[in-house]
Amino acid sequence: MNTAATTTTDEHADSHDHEHHDPRLAHHFDSHQQQFDTGKLGIWIFLVTEVLFFSGLFGFYAVYRSLHPEVFLYASQFLDTTLGAANTVVLLFSSLTMAWGVRCAQLGQSRGLLVCLVTTLACAAIFLGVKSFEYTEKAHHHLLPGRAYQSPEHHDAAAHATAADGETAAAAKEAEAAEASVHGDHGDESLFEKTKHTLSYMTTVLWGVIVLSGIAFGLLFKNPNKKTLATIAGCVLVSAIGMQLGAFSSIGYHQLGHAEKPTDEEIELAETVPAEYAKQKEKIPEPMLARTFFSVYFCMTGVHAIHIIGGMIAISWLIVRTVHGAFTTYYFGAVDFVGLYWHLVDLIWIYLFPLLYLIN
Amino acid sequence: MATVVDSSNPKSDFPIQYRELNYLNCTKGWKSWFFTLDHKRIGIMYLIGVTVAFFLGGLFAVLLRTELLSPEKMFLSADGYNQMFTLHGAIMTFLVIIPGVPAAIGNIILPVMLGAKDVAFPRMNLGSFYLWMAGAAFFLAALALGGLDTGWTFYTPYSVTTGTAVRTALLGVFILGFSSIFTGLNFIVTIHTMRPPGMTWFKMPLFLWALYATALIQVLATPVLGITGLLLIVEKTFEIGIFDPRLGGDPVLFQHFFWFYSHPAVYVMILPAMGVISEVIAVHSRKHIFGYRFIAYSSIAIAVFGFLVWGHHMFVSGQSKVVAVVFSAITFSVSIPSAIKVFNWLTTMYKGSIRFTTAMCYALAFLFIFSIGGLTGLFLATLATDIHLHDTYFVVAHFHYVMMGSSLVGLFAAVHHWWPKMTGKMFNEFWGRIACLGVFLGFNLTFFPQFLLGTRGMPRRYYTYLPEFQNLHVMSTCGAYLLGLSSALMAATLIYSVYRGKLAPANPWGGASLEWQCSSPPPHNNFDHPPLAGDPYVMESVVYNEEIGGYVPVECQGANKGSVTASGDNEA
Repeated sequence: MNTAATTTTDEHADSHDHEHHDPRLAHHFDSHQQQFDTGKLGIWIFLVTEVLFFSGLFGFYAVYRSLHPEVFLYASQFLDTTLGAANTVVLLFSSLTMAWGVRCAQLGQSRGLLVCLVTTLACAAIFLGVKSFEYTEKAHHHLLPGRAYQSPEHHDAAAHATAADGETAAAAKEAEAAEASVHGDHGDESLFEKTKHTLSYMTTVLWGVIVLSGIAFGLLFKNPNKKTLATIAGCVLVSAIGMQLGAFSSIGYHQLGHAEKPTDEEIELAETVPAEYAKQKEKIPEPMLARTFFSVYFCMTGVHAIHIIGGMIAISWLIVRTVHGAFTTYYFGAVDFVGLYWHLVDLIWIYLFPLLYLIN
Repeated sequence: MATVVDSSNPKSDFPIQYRELNYLNCTKGWKSWFFTLDHKRIGIMYLIGVTVAFFLGGLFAVLLRTELLSPEKMFLSADGYNQMFTLHGAIMTFLVIIPGVPAAIGNIILPVMLGAKDVAFPRMNLGSFYLWMAGAAFFLAALALGGLDTGWTFYTPYSVTTGTAVRTALLGVFILGFSSIFTGLNFIVTIHTMRPPGMTWFKMPLFLWALYATALIQVLATPVLGITGLLLIVEKTFEIGIFDPRLGGDPVLFQHFFWFYSHPAVYVMILPAMGVISEVIAVHSRKHIFGYRFIAYSSIAIAVFGFLVWGHHMFVSGQSKVVAVVFSAITFSVSIPSAIKVFNWLTTMYKGSIRFTTAMCYALAFLFIFSIGGLTGLFLATLATDIHLHDTYFVVAHFHYVMMGSSLVGLFAAVHHWWPKMTGKMFNEFWGRIACLGVFLGFNLTFFPQFLLGTRGMPRRYYTYLPEFQNLHVMSTCGAYLLGLSSALMAATLIYSVYRGKLAPANPWGGASLEWQCSSPPPHNNFDHPPLAGDPYVMESVVYNEEIGGYVPVECQGANKGSVTASGDNEA
């Protein structure tokens, strides 16, 4: 039985993972070109599935916008166009640095690659920071999806009414909300506090996710070493700083906006809802299903934000590999593929921004 | 051990037949299986998982049929019956049929057929298996957390209001969807980039064409199911008002979203089975496949049409009449590529030298069952008759003829056809054929009476019925018992062969595609030398050799004229 052929097989199986001297070429590929082409096709097909995944949400949007155009007209005015535009710019810039990073990788400029990747990561974090402020602000005004939504007109009514009227107006929850908004400036302070809480919560989650995924990567693919761990810590630091930057700039902008318009009428309105909401509200009466817009808004931007977080993890992984000098002029597929993914996430935002923020 | 034949044997010039050291035993220990990146081992793990799920789903089916022996309540309450048919449907669809042929058989065979060492993304392949496991765990959790009573379709608004474990099951569906996407993605990329020199698109075996068409559907349709499931979870949790009419949502929108995936998913189930049948019929008829290009194109055509017919599930859901007419017309046109396949298979058998091996018996059963399943689909595609037949047992019988009778029988054919390659052992043909006969008779006895019940107005999903339906229901239940026993016999025959079966030669049936060129079972890397790809259906390229008990390439046989046998082939 123990013939030449079976012995060959034996050696073959044993040496299976070591037969190529180049560790950058997986055993089942013949050449780097084949490996690269395979990955490229794979990521493109993955992007197709991503587009189709979002297509359900865009379908959701299309159906309800065509059924209830007035809802979108009314409710989109509660979104802050300036913050949305700022985020668009941030993401576009991050796409630029990502593309630049891919070029650096192709040219073998590892330092340039590192700078580009870190910048991209920071931009992603700034985006999330701004987004977290926007979410917090929406939550503060009860402009939430589904059950949690409360009409801004209820706030208005409750604010003008006495406490007794407030009871008749709605349930205890609403009265509580109205009470909070009666104290005008107080409302903004608590918004500030809420943003801080949201941020610290998000930062904690970020730490958790990135550290856990770093450990997982370390355990699965390489022995974790000090360099890897330090790089992961650096990525988390960059992300945390970026998020703080995004969120506190948004708060600054928001407070600036309030300080500019101190007329009596506006102060009165600001006690109930922010001035820009109140102005628009007078033009268009609130439609029946205004909250459906916030369902659409939170579903779409929420799923998009999850993709941003996924991208941040992928970019952090690239940074770790870059620090280890994994990429060369003939092996840069991973950078290219994460780059394509990042451009798609960017592109989806390019569609989300006008569809949600720029109605009317 | 003594039967190993290899190139060092001075008497013969044959390739290695049975291989002592193969992918199954080249490394040992549970870790070498659970962390393996070898597509064959992942396929075997899928096969085991699918088999376990199949018997669980089958157990539910048998319990359901037992309850239906009598119009009175026997042991299941109405709620219990709801939960049981829901889990039967969900497990059979998401855990058995969808991954059955592509993920289990396809994983093992596809790279070998391509002469490749592995699929394009081995880690993603393993990941897809773990996602499958996680999805299965969520289904079991749903079972433990108070069951699920929505039907496998999760129709709103009921799924929003019911108190059962809808969210858990939907998370399971979501995860299983990604498992399916990863398998599909892997297959598309593998077929595109890893074909060997000489294998052009039109020299690929038809099984690969079928898997390719399947993978396209998996990749393009499944993400929509993913987001739909997610939105339904969000709807149920936060009441966002997308599908729930109380909140201004549109329940028919859910049906559109759901069937945009789930109708193409029907072709995920049937297309790979069709690919299997193309292989099995050609090999076991010892004849070149008839109408190769037509079969290949019809696979793609079915995949394309599959995306355009989802509305035929909603003829009575209140969609516009124009839309219904269009969907009806496109649904009819799906029968064209399906019929092309059936005619080509029949013509392949014409004047072939057909051997009634177990795999071929299953293929013949497939032809019979699929023809009935396909033709009864036309009754349902016709708007007027569908009004009468909608939500009756006729629908149940129709989709069991297609999904169970065709897809699973295709899977059985595939398992028997490639069993010697997967395990290196020959099963007992006698018991295999007996089991096949039992499956065929049991299946038809179970589901043919349901066509009659349906036309007489027996609605689906009821745990009770009018007394005049009892005879047909009892027939159906007897058939289900026979089907269950035969499936168990099939499993027993196969498992027995692993321990006591004869060692398999490299090419026991005389196939000409690449997977028959490597030893049984293949070594870890599939091929010692990169194989040369030729026409996969030139059966004359191999001849039977008695000494080995299998087929060898003509060149080798020529060098050993002493052992040439006619072997009953009429290819001359």
